[in-house]
Amino acid sequence: MLAGMGPVLLVWLAVCLGGTWAVDKGNFKTCEQSAFCKRQRAIKPGESPYRALLETMELTNTRLTLQLINDNNKVRLLLELYRLQGNITRVKINELKPLKPRYEVPDVLIREPPTEPLSLLSQDENGVVLSLGPESQRVIVSARPFRLDIVEGRDVLMSLNSRGLLGFEHLRMRKDTQADPETDNKEGADPANQDENTKEEEEKVEDGMWEETFKSHTDSKPNGPSAVSLDFSLPGVEHVYGIPEHADTLKLKTTDSGDPYRLYNLDVFQYELYNPMALYGAVPVMLAHNAQRTTGIFWLNAAETWVDISSNTAGKTVFGKMLDYVQGSSETPQTDVRWISESGIIDVFLMLGPTPREVFSQYASLTGTQAFPPLASLGYHQCRWNYNDQEDVRSVDAGFDEHDIPYDFIWLDIEHTDGKRYFTWDPHKFASPKEMLQGLMDKKRKMVAIVDPHIKIDTNYKIHNEISSRGFYVKNKDGGDYEGWCWPGSAGYPDFTRPDMRAWWASQFAYDQYEGAMENLYTWNDMNEPSVFNGPEVTMHKDALHGAWEHRDVHNLYGIYVHMATAQGLIERSGGVERPFVLTRAFFAGSQRYGAVWTGDNAAEWDHLKISIPMCLSLSLVGISFCGADVGGFFKSPSTELLVRWYQTGAYQPFFRAHAHLDTPRREPWLFGPENTALIREAVRQRYTFLPYWYQLFYLAYHTGEPVMRPLWVEYPQDPATFALDDEFLLGRDLLVHPVTEEGARGVTAYLPGKDEVWFDIHTFQKHNGGQNLYIPVTMSSIPVFQRGGSIIPRKLRVRRSSACMEDDPYTLYVALNNQRTAEGELYIDDGHTFNYEKKEFIHRRFSFSNNVLSSVNLEPGAQFTTKSWVERIIILGASNPSTITLRTADGVNQLEFDFDASMSVLTIRKPGMNAGADWSVSLQ
Amino acid sequence: MRFHVIAAALLWAAFVESRKIRGISSSYKRFYRERKSFLCIDGSKMIPFEQVNDDYCDCADGSDEPGTSACPRGRFYCTNLGFRPHYIPSSRVNDGICDCCDASDEYNSHVRCQNTCWNLGQKERAYVEGQMKTLDEGLRLKQQLIEEGVLLWREKQAQLRELQRAAEDLQIKLEEHRRRKHEADRLKEQTLKALKAGDKGLRHQNSTVSHLFQLLDSNKDGSISVDEIKAKVVLVHDEKRVLSEDEALTLLGGGHQMDLSTFQNTLWDVLIQGHDYKIKDAHSAPGGLMSEDPHLKAADRAAEWEATDLKKVEEAYETVNMEISDLQRKLGIDYGTDWEYLFLNGQCYKLKVYEYMYTLCPFNMVSQKSSAGVEVSLGGGCGQDHQRTTTVRWCTRTENRAGREVLAPLQSL
Repeated sequence: MLAGMGPVLLVWLAVCLGGTWAVDKGNFKTCEQSAFCKRQRAIKPGESPYRALLETMELTNTRLTLQLINDNNKVRLLLELYRLQGNITRVKINELKPLKPRYEVPDVLIREPPTEPLSLLSQDENGVVLSLGPESQRVIVSARPFRLDIVEGRDVLMSLNSRGLLGFEHLRMRKDTQADPETDNKEGADPANQDENTKEEEEKVEDGMWEETFKSHTDSKPNGPSAVSLDFSLPGVEHVYGIPEHADTLKLKTTDSGDPYRLYNLDVFQYELYNPMALYGAVPVMLAHNAQRTTGIFWLNAAETWVDISSNTAGKTVFGKMLDYVQGSSETPQTDVRWISESGIIDVFLMLGPTPREVFSQYASLTGTQAFPPLASLGYHQCRWNYNDQEDVRSVDAGFDEHDIPYDFIWLDIEHTDGKRYFTWDPHKFASPKEMLQGLMDKKRKMVAIVDPHIKIDTNYKIHNEISSRGFYVKNKDGGDYEGWCWPGSAGYPDFTRPDMRAWWASQFAYDQYEGAMENLYTWNDMNEPSVFNGPEVTMHKDALHGAWEHRDVHNLYGIYVHMATAQGLIERSGGVERPFVLTRAFFAGSQRYGAVWTGDNAAEWDHLKISIPMCLSLSLVGISFCGADVGGFFKSPSTELLVRWYQTGAYQPFFRAHAHLDTPRREPWLFGPENTALIREAVRQRYTFLPYWYQLFYLAYHTGEPVMRPLWVEYPQDPATFALDDEFLLGRDLLVHPVTEEGARGVTAYLPGKDEVWFDIHTFQKHNGGQNLYIPVTMSSIPVFQRGGSIIPRKLRVRRSSACMEDDPYTLYVALNNQRTAEGELYIDDGHTFNYEKKEFIHRRFSFSNNVLSSVNLEPGAQFTTKSWVERIIILGASNPSTITLRTADGVNQLEFDFDASMSVLTIRKPGMNAGADWSVSLQ
Repeated sequence: MRFHVIAAALLWAAFVESRKIRGISSSYKRFYRERKSFLCIDGSKMIPFEQVNDDYCDCADGSDEPGTSACPRGRFYCTNLGFRPHYIPSSRVNDGICDCCDASDEYNSHVRCQNTCWNLGQKERAYVEGQMKTLDEGLRLKQQLIEEGVLLWREKQAQLRELQRAAEDLQIKLEEHRRRKHEADRLKEQTLKALKAGDKGLRHQNSTVSHLFQLLDSNKDGSISVDEIKAKVVLVHDEKRVLSEDEALTLLGGGHQMDLSTFQNTLWDVLIQGHDYKIKDAHSAPGGLMSEDPHLKAADRAAEWEATDLKKVEEAYETVNMEISDLQRKLGIDYGTDWEYLFLNGQCYKLKVYEYMYTLCPFNMVSQKSSAGVEVSLGGGCGQDHQRTTTVRWCTRTENRAGREVLAPLQSL
């Protein structure tokens, strides 16, 4: 909106905007202002009216059902309990006879999860005990009050409704406007209903049940109250993580003294750090961890959701905890959480671990793994709002060559369109997009253009006309097309919850539909919370309609559906051959299947640089590995030092893109003097040397669900010192990164985990012992990164203009020996951009070093792929000086030249030369 | 025999020379003369000569791999025969993108690069020729502009001098006219005074007194009666009204008759003063009477004449001075060392960039007007509360004067 007013006005706006920094909290609801949250939070523990009617229990091979009754109003609920494959228990609670169906989230689970048999162990009038498979796991259903305990051996892993906070607002007729006594009498014909009615009449009609007003917006709530809530107790747990997206620490905080963490996809202007306010995306998954076990709770509900966390040790000092320990205090630490959602049902997956890796795999079995991205998308992305025209794109592209900085993608924000009409190009500024794209293609580079979901209402706009004539728009409460205000002015919002709408949307990316597009043009979905400038909390009215469902029911799904349909479009345009790349701002559980996510409109401040680590770690823990923050910060202008530090940090985060607001001065890497250009160049080059490792980690994430970027506790689950660390992180298992995120830093203190581990500085090859806090003096060029002893990392040191230019380049293997003088690693190679890996067209090898022999073996004998890449160098860290080195391949035996640096114990083997896909071994004598 | 030895030596030298090291310029050949070993150019390391360009980086300075992509900080020399030679980073060797026009950087890649050097060279030579021509033409045009500028400058200077001279003349004239006007005014004053004081001669006065007396004495009886007064004398401020009996009586000094001698001492004075009463139908009784005086008439005309003349001269003087200061301001601007930009003064150029119309009037003002009609000054003019400045980039071309346009978008800051 700002863009059309010309440069002069912008200067003025920049000045004005400069003065109004930080989020206006008043634009967003607190729990107190959200009627259902207030009602549910008012439920006091220990007074649960719910009772299990054991006589209604039905147990089949795969499912237990049981009715629950609310003794206050006699409304009956139906509990379903499933044992799912892979140590997951699913609990569903719905009304037994709801007045109308309640929303159950579709399309997020990759399939109906396969079940495993349940068996009854014992039963009496107080409850039943069921066996959860072989590991002596049982679930105990207590009848009065209703409660579920999952027990392994003598340990309670998790309890549901143990605090009695189960709340289920049944659907009801509106009483205050339906005072016709005859109607009541008719309903009263059924004695059960009569019972309910008499009780219901005792229930107070509270404010906000049938209508709710926030600021100038009224939510009509025709279905009345429909909230659900449930509490979970986690004995022995002091650390919980996840439930992104919040700008907060990795370890979640207790919420007793403030608002709960909120999950409601919102376009928050200039978000504030370290608070539980909702942001652009929502993944209702929480991980709980202690030194013995990791578990997870996946609350599958797409409505507005609040999560309360309390802990019995939260307020205790270290001394208090010690006292408990010395005195053998009976009170074990415990974390209690309570989930509250506005509508839908309770459908919760209890992922029982016990290891972090197993929780990742359990969650992946439900919602899928990270989409395997095209290799190029792991390179560096250059973005800004906006590159003004084709000439600007050309000159920025040339700037990268002139300054010898690699990059893979240049991005176009909303101004590239013809008047914010997506799928079009500004006829003056981008008059010949194919020419521009060809220019990039000639350098093996790519482009991303934005496509937002709000559609300009303009009868001369093909996209609008088609959506409108097909009736694909979301409807307002009165049945007309919902209209909101966004970048183009008045806009409609396509109903992405409809499969036919998504199929049509996908078809619009076809080369004969999207004029000017070529195969090196990819897509960015912004504003898909959805953002509605004039809507309540800058989003869509909850009483808007998606077919039979209210927006209230589906809100947090809008973004994932936009992302899904767009990614599908990019797949279809290539006939299913090419991998898509789509970046999204809004997301939900399962969004990992469709591409990358970024942390939205951050700011050029040191705290925003710091928070990028816990924000991406929290996303990584819940399946979304392809995460990044805008390098440099979106709003405001970074100091040169901050910009350099951000490049250094971003180079070691999964999605590496610089981005900037329209009003900020230009900040391409070469605009800050030759010294800083060199620093940024070096950071970006480091990224490119590690691309083989990044690619392998993403293959692993795609294959197993293991995150690419990991909190330290994931790999060192028994070391409590790692549990709250969020100023450093691991990439895979083998790289530890502690970026410099303090202004004017002279040094950083990194925790090197693992008492038996050794870590090698990747720049100096200096060896450090694990299990210590290491002070590292830093200069502006320092990026503290360590390779774990025991690992082998393949790198490509011939950094070129773009990742595609490096395809055939040789590898250098970095073999870091541990104290046992062994090491292991992997190498994954494929064509980098198609789905042919699904047809086993790839190379996947395991390197291992032991007994002074380094060998490469095939991990996938069924796979077929040939590469021109070879091994040009092997660097062994922590080595001793051999007398001879022998290479054995299928072609025979050779002696290899080498160089030994005794001061650092680094052995460099010169030009072994074997093909990267071949079997070989190198022996040191 | 000696000739043969020399020929062999030459051949040997030619052979050594022809063992081409890929990626170096001829000036670097001395570092790569084949011996058993190669010393990295930075002197850091000695390696066997076979390891030069063997696609493995041995030297920290990259000097052992001028022809491959092996060294991160290396560079590759494109000979580009027929065009300009230049260096590219080693990372662009065999990367699938043609960088050298002689295709020498992609000797081992899947792309087939064409040798385009000759074409490029042609183009460049044509371009350079064109540039030279353009330069010549440009210099000629510039010379022309300078000549025009100088002429214009001289013309303006001459104009200025002329104007200054005219101003001086006018100044003198002005003095003269002021003096003459003053003189005429004084004469007129004197005449009037004399007329009033009557010391211009009794004969004249008497005739005047008697003349007036005879005018009033309608029945010529030698005395003026009340009726005669009422018939001929009126109030200055109300000519239409006939005087009342009392008023007439008062004028006659209370009596019903007045003779010439009494008239000369009383009523004549009243009428000549002309404050309250006058002779009916006379323009302005006493003035009129006096203006009928030929001397006074002449003096008055002379004074009026001089005043008009003075005003004309004053106006001319002012105009000339304004022109002088305007010319001086214009001449005070920097038009380049040789006044080559002088021709721009007074011209305006328009440029449309997307929805904005920019207008640039060199040495004067710049503005931006949006298609919505909002006009913003981007500098120049005066009296703005916030002054903006505009950076204008000039590219000179050889187009004739009519085609000379603003060639770069105006960047407002």
